[in-house]
Amino acid sequence: MTRILLHDRLDDCLAAWRSSGFRVLAPTRRDDLTRFDEVQGAAEMALDIIMPERTIKDHFFLQTEPMIRYRIKKQEIDTEEMLPPEQKRLFFGVRPCDASGLAIDDQLFGWDYKDAYWFQRRENSVIVTIACTKADDFCMCTSVQLSPDSTKGSDVMLHPLKDGRGWQVVTLTDRGKGLVDGIASILQEDAAEAAPTASVPVKFDVDKVASWLADPASFESHLWKEVSQRCIGCGSCTFLCPTCHCFDIQDEGDTYSGIRRKNWDSCSFAMFTMHTSGHNPRNTQSTRWRQRIMHKFNYYRGKFDVNSCSGCGRCTRQCPVDMGITETLQVISNLPR
Amino acid sequence: MSEPFEPKIVAFVCTYCTYAGADLAGTSRIKYAPNVRIVRLPCTGRISPMFILKALQKGADGVLVSGCHPGDCHFAQGNYHARRRWTVFRSLLSFTGIPEERIKFSWVSAAEGAKFAELINDVTEQIRDLGPFEQYQELQKVIETQSSY
Amino acid sequence: MGIQEQYRIEAAELLSSGAVKLVIGYGQGSTPDRRRPVFIRSAEESKQLLLDSYCVANLSGYLVPEGLLSDGKSVGVFLKPDGIRSVNILTAEAQVNPDQVVIFGFDIENGNTKPLSGRKAIDFAPLIESMKSTGLSPELQHEADRLEQMSASERFEYWKAQFAKCIKCYACRQVCPMCYCRRCIVDVNQPQWVNTSSHTLGNFEWNIVRAFHLAGRCVACGGCDRACPVNIPLRLINHRMSKEALDAFDHFAGESADQKPVLATFRQDDPETFIL
Repeated sequence: MTRILLHDRLDDCLAAWRSSGFRVLAPTRRDDLTRFDEVQGAAEMALDIIMPERTIKDHFFLQTEPMIRYRIKKQEIDTEEMLPPEQKRLFFGVRPCDASGLAIDDQLFGWDYKDAYWFQRRENSVIVTIACTKADDFCMCTSVQLSPDSTKGSDVMLHPLKDGRGWQVVTLTDRGKGLVDGIASILQEDAAEAAPTASVPVKFDVDKVASWLADPASFESHLWKEVSQRCIGCGSCTFLCPTCHCFDIQDEGDTYSGIRRKNWDSCSFAMFTMHTSGHNPRNTQSTRWRQRIMHKFNYYRGKFDVNSCSGCGRCTRQCPVDMGITETLQVISNLPR
Repeated sequence: MSEPFEPKIVAFVCTYCTYAGADLAGTSRIKYAPNVRIVRLPCTGRISPMFILKALQKGADGVLVSGCHPGDCHFAQGNYHARRRWTVFRSLLSFTGIPEERIKFSWVSAAEGAKFAELINDVTEQIRDLGPFEQYQELQKVIETQSSY
Repeated sequence: MGIQEQYRIEAAELLSSGAVKLVIGYGQGSTPDRRRPVFIRSAEESKQLLLDSYCVANLSGYLVPEGLLSDGKSVGVFLKPDGIRSVNILTAEAQVNPDQVVIFGFDIENGNTKPLSGRKAIDFAPLIESMKSTGLSPELQHEADRLEQMSASERFEYWKAQFAKCIKCYACRQVCPMCYCRRCIVDVNQPQWVNTSSHTLGNFEWNIVRAFHLAGRCVACGGCDRACPVNIPLRLINHRMSKEALDAFDHFAGESADQKPVLATFRQDDPETFIL
């Protein structure tokens, strides 16, 4: 017997959560795009899709985030920190891959300096994931040591029922318990079985990839040029990735006042490593592609013991020229020993 | 107790015709509305659409671009190139919903001091009637305030 | 023999004879209906080339990167008429030497591919000229009409919602053959004309600026529209600019290799309906 939530009681849950101060965000389709946005009712949610086109990273690491407001007076500069508002948020219907992206990035944002913007949002948010019962050709969570029902980064996990009436509710963290306790009267005990999770074939051997990458000789391999010929150097893959986290600091304003902002940046961009001297150590697309793969599966692994990849497959799904990391990793994985 | 709305208008003008015309209005003691901030360029051919966007970004309610009459450009061809650019840019702004009535173009020669003053007065009143460019300035406010989540 | 087989053989011949050093074409993508750009350098590799109705991308952009054509050798490329127009524009703007570009011309009609005869861009001149008389895409015009019928503030709200989605990934710019500036205006920070931040204002400005820089240069290949990961209907805004260039200046982008860029020329009787 487990606790289940029926589909037609979801609106009651939203009402209960909202009355306890949460803003509820769920995958929803607006203006020709599916992404996490605030919803008022279950009818607005797009839960049947493989995954929303944009990730929940967008709500923790904003694409453009004001940090400091400055005002310049004769001899002084006034600054005012612009931290995120203290607002409780509930993310409903998150895919396990997206949730794991948050946990993976927690390590980076808390590493040598605790990023207040990230953690304030993290601490005020509850993640309710729904295990995947279907996948498409681009999904590859199982190849990066995750799975369609991975609990990484999740506070509560819902398992769709085989009979389609709702979900089994599994509480994973204290934060999740607090949330579920609040809707205890809406849940019911039931013996209904969970539907089987999606079958996601393993596409490459990530440990083999990591050890090839860690070999110094691989850095100069001709493989990098070969696999990246068609890459056009846009930021789509990096910006849609649940784990990518590079940013640029920009001041916007004039001589009197302005705002310092943290904006998304991409290692795919030609100017990413442009020095003020004019020298650019990564001045070809192949060196930039190499950096992307090395960072995700070598450097990040070395530092934090985890791949900087959640296996969502958006990089390939959305790439204008059908790149994405899966194929490169397959090529490396298939190299003769 | 609110003050009456005073439109902020930026005028990008060429040195040899419109700016000279503005000077003539001044020396002739012709009064014209103080709402316009004049930016002098050597020629309208130098005026990039970036300038117009920057003026709107910085809070202008209206923009005026003015130069020599076709055929009279001090640099012979600058205003012909400008005219083509404006035709295209204007249709672009209109298509994206930025009201055409807020971006105005004119030819004012160095001898047309009175015309310049009249032009500024007319433009100011038209923009005053349209009101502050709230839609665009709302986009600005989205920058200023903290993110909503 | 189908066009795919025919072009594979021709590509192999040109490569083995040394007539071209590289053929840029379409190959199998990561799913059955995807095609990706492939770079064929030997007769053996030419087996990878595919040609069917899924081959819609404009590959002419791959001709532009620095150094590709600087050794004077020729490069083969699979192009539809929109891509051939792109080559004309690149030639007119001194980015490409048309003698170095060997074109495998094709078009897609009713789900089938058909070959277009010609080797260099100039061979396709009659075809491209006839395209001008048929005018711009009626489907795009129909979509654009819906917007034109709205009031200015409705249009503003529409584009505000669309541009709010923009993440400044620049996929639209990177995939466009016409966006070849080594330093794009957004990357210029002395001064910073266009905000690089992807708030709605910055997104508005970026998309306006790019559309303006493409006025009279866009060939409606649809690359930007397909590339956009957040589904902004860029085709509409670029189409509107093409329409303006055609209506006001009788300018059809890429009509010929010696066509002067629309904003670099003028006529004394250009329209000036909006002058006060």
